[in-house]
Amino acid sequence: MLSPERRPSMAERRPSIFAHALTPLVVPHLAGIEDPLPATTPEKVDVLIAGSGMVESVLAAALAWQGSTVLHIDKNDYYGDTAATLTVDQIKRWVNEINDGKIPYYENAKLYVSTEIGNGKYNSRDFGIDISPKILFTKSDLLSILVKSRVHQYLEFQSLSNFHTYENDSFEKLTNTKQEIFVDQKLPLMTKRNLMKFIKFVLNWEEQPEIWKPFAEKSIAEFLIEKFKLERAQVFELIFSIGLCYNIETKVPEALQRIRRYLTSFDVYGPFPVLYSKYGGPGELSQGFCRSAAVGGATYKLNETLVSYNATTKEAVFADGSKVSVMEKVIMSPTQVNQNSKNVPEQPYQIHRLTCIVEKDCKEWFSEGESAAMVVFPPGSLKSGNKQVVQAFILGAGSECCPSGTSIWYMSTTEQGVRAEMDLDAALEAMELSILRESSTDLENDNDIVQFGMNGQTVVNSVRLGQSFKEYVPREKVHFLCKLYYTQYTSTPPFGVVDPSLFEKNVVSDKFIPGASDNGVLYTSMPSAEISYDEVVTAAKVLYEKIVGSDDDFFDVDFEDDDDTQAGPADNSNYENAIDDEDEDDDMGMGKNESTEFVGEMEI
Amino acid sequence: MNSAVTSIKLVLLGEAAVGKSSIVLRFVSNDFSENKEPTIGAAFLTQRVNINDNTVKFEIWDTAGQERFASLAPMYYRNAQAALIVYDVTKPQSFIKARHWIKELHEQANKDMIIALVGNKVDVLENNEDERKVAREEGEKLAEEEGLLFFETSAKTGLNVTETFVAIGEKIPLKTAGDQETDSNGVAISDEQRIDLANSGNAAGQTAGCSC
Repeated sequence: MLSPERRPSMAERRPSIFAHALTPLVVPHLAGIEDPLPATTPEKVDVLIAGSGMVESVLAAALAWQGSTVLHIDKNDYYGDTAATLTVDQIKRWVNEINDGKIPYYENAKLYVSTEIGNGKYNSRDFGIDISPKILFTKSDLLSILVKSRVHQYLEFQSLSNFHTYENDSFEKLTNTKQEIFVDQKLPLMTKRNLMKFIKFVLNWEEQPEIWKPFAEKSIAEFLIEKFKLERAQVFELIFSIGLCYNIETKVPEALQRIRRYLTSFDVYGPFPVLYSKYGGPGELSQGFCRSAAVGGATYKLNETLVSYNATTKEAVFADGSKVSVMEKVIMSPTQVNQNSKNVPEQPYQIHRLTCIVEKDCKEWFSEGESAAMVVFPPGSLKSGNKQVVQAFILGAGSECCPSGTSIWYMSTTEQGVRAEMDLDAALEAMELSILRESSTDLENDNDIVQFGMNGQTVVNSVRLGQSFKEYVPREKVHFLCKLYYTQYTSTPPFGVVDPSLFEKNVVSDKFIPGASDNGVLYTSMPSAEISYDEVVTAAKVLYEKIVGSDDDFFDVDFEDDDDTQAGPADNSNYENAIDDEDEDDDMGMGKNESTEFVGEMEI
Repeated sequence: MNSAVTSIKLVLLGEAAVGKSSIVLRFVSNDFSENKEPTIGAAFLTQRVNINDNTVKFEIWDTAGQERFASLAPMYYRNAQAALIVYDVTKPQSFIKARHWIKELHEQANKDMIIALVGNKVDVLENNEDERKVAREEGEKLAEEEGLLFFETSAKTGLNVTETFVAIGEKIPLKTAGDQETDSNGVAISDEQRIDLANSGNAAGQTAGCSC
């Protein structure tokens, strides 16, 4: 879809470089060789980006490789902005800045840090805390961009296979593969059959409208119970742990898409559906995309604040007095604004987060050889009577985000207002009790619970165990090294399926507001509550299209292959995740083509 | 030939225009030992070198200009096993900057990182020794104080360029089969946990495989 406004691609604009080659040969920008780097900021750029969060960084890299000159700044002295991975000292500063009103769209930050960090056993820099933690589905648009852009080579990824659902005061590990369903002793035969029937259906659900269409406007829970005769426990696992939906009202098509995202991601790289990056999540990924953008020629400047932009003269002025002419667009994260910014889109939705560093390795929750787990607290499972899900993402020392013997618990909820904190506290209490029980040695000495089989192997009496759990009063306490609570605001509602219209709020209004310092500025969206990276590429593409005129050359680069880099994922099947916006009841009309085009189909 | 290839992440540091990239380009494009053509990808430059009976693969990271406004990401230093700090023997300012980078590395990087201090552009001195503004002894002294390797090079003529990389390679503990690295806490790091995204399940039953 070539729009008349489409700007020429890199190859078209700089024909001299590529005159000899059919495909653009990409040579990394090598400081001081072909093009001596200027000592000062460029006077003129195509695009100015303020803020180095995920969406901004992916956008910067896409634009740099497309051939636009990009100046990418951040008012902070670190990369990441809303996606940053911070040390404990940086968290202290961040919390103070939030409470001083210096970081917009965050509020109510509360922090406890044990004296053991900094003055004792641990250093502030031993920890990398994500302010918006994320997991990466192995079949997703971001993953293919990571491979295509080679940014994955800057990063290390690890697997996460353990998804738990909190039920009846304990963590149930998910039965998520066909094999596991078959061998699961607890599942009645009938349930197994129904579950298998559903899994077969969901992998190919759009083609079977006769099954789901009658339920299209109903909740997924109703559908699963009435149509597939599934039991409550399986229904909850499917909706909340596999689908990672937020509440029981989630509609059928959205939920099916999300359930399928998990199932199709399984076994792409191994027996697990998601990955996370070592040393930090989106904070690391945004650094990787920024580096890619820099290799592609973008200029980077941290500690730089945009004071004003004049859409008529195209002049951007910075806090240090320097200026730059911006030929195309200024893109800004809502966190990077200044007092006279009057065009920032409303950010009406709250995300409440509670992040704890605990002195427990939590290996009881991880699979062998792994260092991470997801725990989901379905509606009504907590003492607080939660109506929305609480999602908990747990990282152990193997992630290199915390030292050995500790772990980080990230809890979040889409509940709004005062209830949210009660839900998070209740989830924390449940996790605390659970890890104490599971890591406790007391139980092993209890003859009523642990019995010995004929060959001397331990047989745990599960009925007795359950009763005992309820009465179990832990003797020890979980030792907290750090507890951080905060509320973040966003313009993106908790969504079922990623849709470009979610990010269309950041339109520039034609009417300039007198006295505003940001007339003509395009805003990016704050991170949503989504625990996966699913919104990032779509949000970046919406902006890319506004700047370039079309998104068909988004990361359309051919890199010379590294000598030992293998070919990409072998199967070319569609990348089916919650990002595909291909519901048949999609009423996008004209946007249909765009929305069904996802990067998974690109050649890798 | 030994089948184990040791990968070394090497980062380049130094003031602008001291010839950091020229040194690397000279290194990777020299017909060095029996190697294949150097490859250029968008991530970093790579070059294999045979040292004694082992193969060392350098993954050379350029700053990509991010150092100009003090905006190098922590990722740049992460797990770097070696660094090349380059100055220009004709520019005293670049030597001062080199001292700054040594300090920066001591704060940010791996404690056991192998660092080489390199005085580049000695070819300029061939015709006119007066151009020299940083004495060889000064460089040697700094390197000795800080425990660094030291070379004076010319990216233009190739003098000491490969020697510098070979010297780094010789100081890096080589990986042998079944080796396990340990982190600063003495915890074994297993490469098994690492997943190569460019290499998805083409082999049945393949788990977290690393193609290195």
